[in-house]
Amino acid sequence: MERQPRGLAGVTLPFIAPVHVMVLGVIVIPSLFVIWLSFQSSTFGQSARFVGWDNYVRVLSDPYFWRALLNTVLVIAAAVHIEMLIGLGMALLFSAGLPMRRLLLVVVLAPYAISEVTAVAMWRFLFDPDVGPVTAAIAWLGLPALDWTFVPAHGLILVGLLTIWLHLPFTFIILYAARLAVPKELYEAGRTDGASLWQLFRHVTLPMLAPAILIAMLFRYIFAFRLFSEVWLMTQGGPARTTEVVAVYLYLEAFRYNSFGSAAATAWIMVAISLLLATGYIWRLKKETSHAA
Amino acid sequence: MTSTLNRRRFLAAASAGASALAFGGRALAQEKTINALSHLVHQNVLTKGAAGDVIAPWREAQKAKISWTTLDSNPLQDRLFREASLNATEFNVGYVIDNRMTADVAKLFEPLDAMQKADPIEAFDDLAPGLVKAMTVKDKLVGIPVRHATQALFYNEALLKEAGIAAPPKTLEELVEQAKKLTFTSAAGTPVTGMVLASDLAVFPVMFARAFGGDFITLDFKLMPDREAMQKGLAVLADLLASKALPRSYATTRNDDMVTWMQQGRAAFCVLPFARYAQLNNADQSQFAGKIKAVAFPGSATVSGGAGMSAVVESWAMAIPANAKDKELAWSFIKAVSSKAVTLGMARNGNGPVRISTYADAGFAASQPLAAIESEVLAKARPAFPAFPEAVRAQSVFLEEVQLAVLGRKTPAEAVKAIAERVQPLLPA
Repeated sequence: MERQPRGLAGVTLPFIAPVHVMVLGVIVIPSLFVIWLSFQSSTFGQSARFVGWDNYVRVLSDPYFWRALLNTVLVIAAAVHIEMLIGLGMALLFSAGLPMRRLLLVVVLAPYAISEVTAVAMWRFLFDPDVGPVTAAIAWLGLPALDWTFVPAHGLILVGLLTIWLHLPFTFIILYAARLAVPKELYEAGRTDGASLWQLFRHVTLPMLAPAILIAMLFRYIFAFRLFSEVWLMTQGGPARTTEVVAVYLYLEAFRYNSFGSAAATAWIMVAISLLLATGYIWRLKKETSHAA
Repeated sequence: MTSTLNRRRFLAAASAGASALAFGGRALAQEKTINALSHLVHQNVLTKGAAGDVIAPWREAQKAKISWTTLDSNPLQDRLFREASLNATEFNVGYVIDNRMTADVAKLFEPLDAMQKADPIEAFDDLAPGLVKAMTVKDKLVGIPVRHATQALFYNEALLKEAGIAAPPKTLEELVEQAKKLTFTSAAGTPVTGMVLASDLAVFPVMFARAFGGDFITLDFKLMPDREAMQKGLAVLADLLASKALPRSYATTRNDDMVTWMQQGRAAFCVLPFARYAQLNNADQSQFAGKIKAVAFPGSATVSGGAGMSAVVESWAMAIPANAKDKELAWSFIKAVSSKAVTLGMARNGNGPVRISTYADAGFAASQPLAAIESEVLAKARPAFPAFPEAVRAQSVFLEEVQLAVLGRKTPAEAVKAIAERVQPLLPA
């Protein structure tokens, strides 16, 4: 006799329940705990004490938080857009056909396989102001020195360059995959109609890659907002906290000063700001997908 | 033959695995284990070096093994306090820095007075009283000192000789003069900087302030009792940087960088604990093995008795988390580590000994060229600042202002004024 379906709950729930439990345990409950913590005054050896919005007020009225936020926005805005331009250029170059394409793909993707700690150690050596080979090469070429240990703006530039180097493969691979998915017929039709290379790019490539570009930028904005290792290992936010970013600010509050309430408030402010930054892209993405539908 | 995974087989395999783990765990539990949370240096001085594995006799007597979890100082303190805040922890012994043992943190650790009374540590009075006092919070002993790091002025004798300098400096003014003279390219073609200092610890600027009779926070919580002395100390550092006798990368220089620079002959002077002597002169790592020596950090000639300034000392202690298991075994371990013999052995392995008698040991004094100087400096040394809830934040504020002054973005007077305004509210009422 054929079994009757037992309904969605009876059949599906046992299969999806582990995922739900995991999401609940790893994301939802800790998030709720952090919300609760953000309204408490809490440190080692003391019971948590409800302080209302004090932690949020304290963080938002701290000039170091705003400086860290400005540094974060500057670095990620520059890094994400430069990554996008380079990633797009490389995707077009690879799709146009390159000799030794597979080998070059490995080379381009390699930074993504390197741990951030290793990468920063490597870059610290390469850009060492006294004995770094890149510093020496810059001097030999007669270019202005990257005085990253002394000038805060140079420190942020180096952090930005390192971020781009580390995360370019992510942007590149998304755009390259999207470019390969564009039907060749569209280009053939364009060429038949006498379109120039620029016109093909402007009217075929770009519109077809737009959703992928938006997704890559959205993810990179959200990931980049958590920028930490590059700054912490390169400059530790110095000199004198001038290259600090928001994640470093949070780390200091939580793990250096053991001020868990204000660290939790900082974390939720970070979530709110990164969602705000992403809103434009999400809106545009929704518009793109609804048009496509 | 093919095998398929069905629900019964999965459950059977899972049950078998769980049983194996449970019985395996019981078998393993028959051997006693001390889980120690420490810095790598604490493990190394107990188990490696000229004196060898000095804790082996205790392990054999107790039929116990030691499982070490080692971290860098700040992450170590964070992990230890976090573990001690839980309902229970697997760690039996944790290593704590003196300026982190605040009244709130002390609540997380087992008071040791009763254990000391019932089963006392050998010659307890021989432990440096100042270090024991730092671990006594509200009249309760919460940690047993195990290591001190007293700051010394290290110099590269070969570079001094090359620059025509016959002896290390006796005053701060001589130090500045020599550091400037030693900012040159050595015969080997290495660009040498007079002095290298890390910028992430209060220790270094405090040493310069003390050279003029000043201080950062005294043990009775007076903030910069002599502001002019602090200004003078910062002015000297700023002058060293301006004259390139301190590297331009000062703001990103860390402790380990100082060691590397000295070992490579890239710096002529640095300030590090005496206990770093062996590492700086390690033939496997250092290009100047045997040539890096140390003296007491010199005071300013402008201060009467300047040569007798108080160096900065930082100490570590062993503590038992209040939520730890097998506290008896933990105390047994602490007792063994604190014994005269093990303290001496650790000292021979490169530890700063916390027992006064260790320095009196003829064999130790003969084997350690710095023992006599270290003992003399230790007698007058005191911490950079005492323990209080906002001590770490106060140190960060201090370092930020020091960096601004040294890099020339603020005058020393402006930096000192800012330190006073920003640190005062962080001090205990």
